Amino acid sequence: MNDILTIILVLIGAPILGCLASGIDRKLTARLQGRVGPPLLQPYYDVRKLLSKDNIVVNPSQNFYVIVYLAFIILSLLMLVFKQDFLMIIFVYTVASVALVVGGMSTGSPYARIGSSREIMAILSYEPVLILYALAIYLLTGTFKLSALLDASSPLLMYTPLIFIAMIVVLNIKLKKSPFDYSTSHHGHQELIKGMTTEYGGPGFATIEIAHFYEYVFLTGLIFLFWASAPVIGVLIGIIAYLLVIVIDNITARVYWQWMLKLSWTILLVISLVNIAFLYVSGVKLI
Amino acid sequence: MIENTVMLLIIVPLLFSLLFIALPKSLYKYLAWAFFIIGIALSVSLVLGGTGVVPVEGPNFAMYENIVLVLEVLVILYILAVSAKYKNWPTLGLGIISAALFAYTYANVPGAESASFNIDQLSQLMILIVNIVGTAIILFATGYMDQYEEHRHLNRQRTFYFTMSFFLAAMNGLVMSDTLGWLYLFWELTTLCSFVLISYNMDEEGINNGFRALSLNLVGGVAMSIGIILLATKYDINSLTGIATYAGTDAVALAALALPVALLCIGGFAKSAQMPFHSWLLGAMVAPTPVSALLHSSTMVNAGVFLIVKLVPAFANTSLGTAIAVYGSFTFVICSALALSQRNAKRVLAYSTIANLGLIIASAGIGTPLAVAASMMLILFHAISKGLLFLCTGEIEHTIGSRDIEDMSGLIKKAPLLTSIAALGMISMLLPPFGVLLTKWVSMEAASNNPVVIIFIVLGSALTTVYYSKWLGTILSSSMDKNAVPHKKLETYFPLSVLALSIIGTSIFIFSIYNYFVGPQVEILLGNVPNITGPVGQFTSEIGAFDYAAVFVVLALAILIYLATKNTTTRKVNFYMCGENNLEKDGLMFRNGVCDYEKCSVSNIYLQNIFGESKLTTFGYAISIILIVIALAGGVGL
Repeated sequence: MNDILTIILVLIGAPILGCLASGIDRKLTARLQGRVGPPLLQPYYDVRKLLSKDNIVVNPSQNFYVIVYLAFIILSLLMLVFKQDFLMIIFVYTVASVALVVGGMSTGSPYARIGSSREIMAILSYEPVLILYALAIYLLTGTFKLSALLDASSPLLMYTPLIFIAMIVVLNIKLKKSPFDYSTSHHGHQELIKGMTTEYGGPGFATIEIAHFYEYVFLTGLIFLFWASAPVIGVLIGIIAYLLVIVIDNITARVYWQWMLKLSWTILLVISLVNIAFLYVSGVKLI
Repeated sequence: MIENTVMLLIIVPLLFSLLFIALPKSLYKYLAWAFFIIGIALSVSLVLGGTGVVPVEGPNFAMYENIVLVLEVLVILYILAVSAKYKNWPTLGLGIISAALFAYTYANVPGAESASFNIDQLSQLMILIVNIVGTAIILFATGYMDQYEEHRHLNRQRTFYFTMSFFLAAMNGLVMSDTLGWLYLFWELTTLCSFVLISYNMDEEGINNGFRALSLNLVGGVAMSIGIILLATKYDINSLTGIATYAGTDAVALAALALPVALLCIGGFAKSAQMPFHSWLLGAMVAPTPVSALLHSSTMVNAGVFLIVKLVPAFANTSLGTAIAVYGSFTFVICSALALSQRNAKRVLAYSTIANLGLIIASAGIGTPLAVAASMMLILFHAISKGLLFLCTGEIEHTIGSRDIEDMSGLIKKAPLLTSIAALGMISMLLPPFGVLLTKWVSMEAASNNPVVIIFIVLGSALTTVYYSKWLGTILSSSMDKNAVPHKKLETYFPLSVLALSIIGTSIFIFSIYNYFVGPQVEILLGNVPNITGPVGQFTSEIGAFDYAAVFVVLALAILIYLATKNTTTRKVNFYMCGENNLEKDGLMFRNGVCDYEKCSVSNIYLQNIFGESKLTTFGYAISIILIVIALAGGVGL
């Protein structure tokens, strides 16, 4: 019974939180650019407007991929909330990412295909870091199950500072923020060609936006895990990381995907590996 | 009962190979259907018959042993003759070495009184793979080969079906024999069959690649026969179970076995096309697609990993095991990287096969119960998915006339059913809830105590996601021309559907498969079972848990929502090109600066200059040879 309540709470609560987060992003970005910016609830108005429009598609099957995208984001969020196996959460999350990529490609549109190709490169950049994060959790707790983190004697962050830094960059990549927003430009929603999502409009695009709301919560949830033993601090760290991403978004310009791949497969991987090596050598256990 | 099934499993495919020679081409279709049905019946009856050892003794043994001797002599003579005929000196040299080793064995190794077939759960699993996937491939070939030969002006189908059926007989013998001498004969027979099939086109390219396969596998065969001689003369061991028993006595015995076991493993590496032997499997691409499918999924390469899994008791938790795990995971990552840079669909699949076999070998090398369970499950799921993907590639090639991934864009419009089946095959290779991913998850969890292995697996797994999702997106993308029309033959689509349904079925019933085949076999190999429990629909190991049922439910839900909302106000338009669509023609071309029309073309990213063959192959050779030397050195106790 409790589980069902939690599920309902997540299903309703997460998009509200995500929508607010997105609104704060728009507001903050506007202020950083010296504008007043839209109202806080602008993302909600956007989605409501999109839902009222015709669903224009190039290929009817593109809607299917969007539904899979939304469904698997929600599933990975639920698995996170229910403290399931972290490695498996990453794989389930990959289903969502691949669905969005295939959805973009399925339209056959040149812009969407370019965006999708670039997003595949983004997957190549962040996936190893994510799995190494899972490995760090395993090394510290002896299990991939997140439930163990709640009983941890001290926070994860104490022993995984380098992975934390890498994860902040991964957050930037996943939220498609500058400097890594080449697969779907996200800057203030003002560009016509939005990479992977170019061919989506109306309810289809609204679904993607709603999925993004869930994704915001899911991704900050991953950061929360760094201090899960004291939830208040964990939430705080999640919020700080999110704000940091917005600031980075505003002070950097878009880069080539090659640049990001290099950054990720050299610096991010190396610092993560150093961190992992430290965990192997020191043999610290949190439980 | 079980004795009869064992004999039938070898004799029936032989009988079919003779029928293919004797009967006219018009009857091949019916023969293939019969073979398919009998193959399923026989393999299922073997599984239902349970496990057991079938000894061959007395007069029967004497007769069979003579047949084995004659066959071995014939194999060697054939190798010598064919390599002399084509003046392939390296192969001739290897043939002479094999002959010398055979003569040495005959003269110096004490003869046995009996031989035996050992039907354990792994053999049962392999028999199911060989006789269901293998015969499905032969059935597919009856819908494929006519067109193939027409293009190339060939008329050698007799040889083709004879060898394919013979191959299955040899494979059945290989996975059932316990006696090393017999295992070795079947081993060499599969090498020969692959040689004949790879050089099927009889052109220069085909023959060269055939010889490459032959010579590299002979290298493995030589290593293996030295290993067998060492085992027989030094420790009086002449069977696989004998190795396990001897290894189980004490640590000294385990250490003593390391060198011969490492030699046997090298035979396995060569057969499974691991680096540095991988080039033969890539060369095998020149053969007709059913041959590739057979080699990659149900025969040849599986023989290698089968042997390595069977040898697990002799290297689990030793330095040799660790060396094997590092070696396998290295092949996994380097071949995944190489696959990323390929545009040729068959090469992508070939590298992906080598990579996945590397993962199987790595899992076996890790040697924990969980890891060994993962390696066995991966053999099963990989065989089904890869068999399907190869057949789909062949059919795609016949539909659009190309095996370049870039040419496959828009395939979903041209051949929807074929594309959907191929897409299922690809998804099953990289995403949950399908078997391959689930076993990858298990092996990652199992490998997490070995830093080098886990990092290789992590990187390889990310690369795998990339090359499959790229290809998946390409075939599912819609371009508007519908010129190609697929031919819808029952012999083509029935095997494809069977394999596609097997993917879904085995993924749903993964826990039953685990309970029936994998758990008991791990108990045989290691003496204890992995701590995997949980209600149906969940997979819980000691270090993690996965509700794969939840993923199935969500997937089904997504499909239902899609179908329910399919007919709501959807308006179809052409795609957006910044207002530069040509409205006069089909609306899909750009209007360029001189009021002309241009088709836009976008291609995937292949990262040739990072992961290209020219960049990585030499590096791969160097590292893999060093790793093999380390494995051998670990064997002599350095």
